[in-house]
Amino acid sequence: MSETAPTLREFFAAWELFRDPSLTGAFAGMMLGMMGVYVVLRRMVFLAATVSHAASFGVAGSYFLGLGTVGWIGSFAPILGALTMTFLTLWLIASDTSHEQHRRDSLLGFVFLACSAGTLVVGTRIVEEIQDIESILFGTAVAVLPSDFRLMTLLAILILLIHVWGWRGFSAVSFDRTGAVVRGLPVRGLEFTLFIGLGVGLAVSTRVLGALPTFAFTVLPALAAVNVAPNVRVCLIVAASLGAISGFGGYLLAFLFEFPVGATQTLVGAAFASITWLFGHRHSH
Amino acid sequence: MTTKSEELNAPCLICENLRIGWGATPLLPEINFSVSSGSVWVLVGRNGSGKSTLLQTLLGVLKPLAGQCSLDSGSSLAHVPQRGNYDLCVPARSWDMVEAGVDRGWDFWRWGGRSERVRHALDAVGAADLARQPFSHLSEGQKQRVLMARAMASHPDVMLLDEPTSAMDPMAEKAIFRVIDDLRTDRSLAVIIASHSLTVVPAIATHVVFLDRDDQVVIAGDRAAVLADPRFQARYGTVFSEEES
Repeated sequence: MSETAPTLREFFAAWELFRDPSLTGAFAGMMLGMMGVYVVLRRMVFLAATVSHAASFGVAGSYFLGLGTVGWIGSFAPILGALTMTFLTLWLIASDTSHEQHRRDSLLGFVFLACSAGTLVVGTRIVEEIQDIESILFGTAVAVLPSDFRLMTLLAILILLIHVWGWRGFSAVSFDRTGAVVRGLPVRGLEFTLFIGLGVGLAVSTRVLGALPTFAFTVLPALAAVNVAPNVRVCLIVAASLGAISGFGGYLLAFLFEFPVGATQTLVGAAFASITWLFGHRHSH
Repeated sequence: MTTKSEELNAPCLICENLRIGWGATPLLPEINFSVSSGSVWVLVGRNGSGKSTLLQTLLGVLKPLAGQCSLDSGSSLAHVPQRGNYDLCVPARSWDMVEAGVDRGWDFWRWGGRSERVRHALDAVGAADLARQPFSHLSEGQKQRVLMARAMASHPDVMLLDEPTSAMDPMAEKAIFRVIDDLRTDRSLAVIIASHSLTVVPAIATHVVFLDRDDQVVIAGDRAAVLADPRFQARYGTVFSEEES
């Protein structure tokens, strides 16, 4: 740490510099926190971990192949790499129709380990100086590109709007699928929209912030919300709010105490989950 | 103009030459029956006899292998799942549970306008006082009432219940039978119940579908006729002869 610790005043004095990365964390936290409610309540936590690591491998792979320097496609290559690996993983899991939990878990474990190891191995050969392996995996970067900030903002707003209007449908297909079929809801369309939103959200967040904070935003705010919320609607609002606070607050704390950003954002989320677990109605009852 | 008895006898769900199963091979012989408003059909049979498969087919979750199962135009179904199938990790009060059952089709996009239907549905099953209580804290009988209210919230003509009284004490079971009978008589609701417990039959059944996969038997019809059928009696004896019930 430096001799004089940074202050809150210094943070806001340099707001122009910190605005994009701190708000990117807030938007990603809000978006993934809200969708994380479905991940946590449908017991898909390991899927989210696997997808975020597969997306990391996609980002690392695009740099390894040198696509980041190829003309106009260069700026999109990491996002495309993340999206490709995300949807490849989701397709692989969906194509396993055995309905055997141990088979699915084994498949997820395989993809998780192969992609994590692949990212580490490929990461040692990445030539771009700005893309070190730590920022891809753990989200240690303190700055984000303006184009990444705009992309995250647009995506978060779009997903928020879709969920504000469609949460009853997403909730119905997630927690009472047979009932939704019987009542004639567009079940396949709703499931498709939910998973596409989640896949794109995970891929973009992994590219911009790193795998660790992405996974943390998808799990911890939702865990905290489930501990205190009386119903799914409140759960979604609380999870989105805590996700946004984790993203922004984590960045701020990382600045003030000179901690790594992604890890600090994760710890803020973990603190919310711990506090609500201790004092929430589910634990106390 | 139709009279009350004509209205009660109008078929709202018809199964014709229906063959059911999970693969290409049908589980049972052809099934034929038609469900009228105000009747209670009980699907009975041992574990693995095909009750759940028939229920899934009636619900539209499984496609028939042959024949058809058709709803009268304008009629609608509602499903009451087994209580144990609901994941209690999902936070919900009784009110929220019932509200989740209101929407049909694309209605889930609609803002507001559900409160009245939730209130009526809870009243219909005598669960108005449970509205603010967390679903996971309710007794088995109370949970069953709330799940029935959820089904009622979408204004169905036919309600299909899967094992509604399993793991229930006799008093709670009796209370649920009373609610089902009230819905049948007061609201002309047609009810189909899948149950491995035969206590449902004398309590509320007007009609019975007996399924036996081992002997490839399906008997469907009026309760007295099914209970008197030698093939039913060969499996269950005469425990439910009409004199006893």
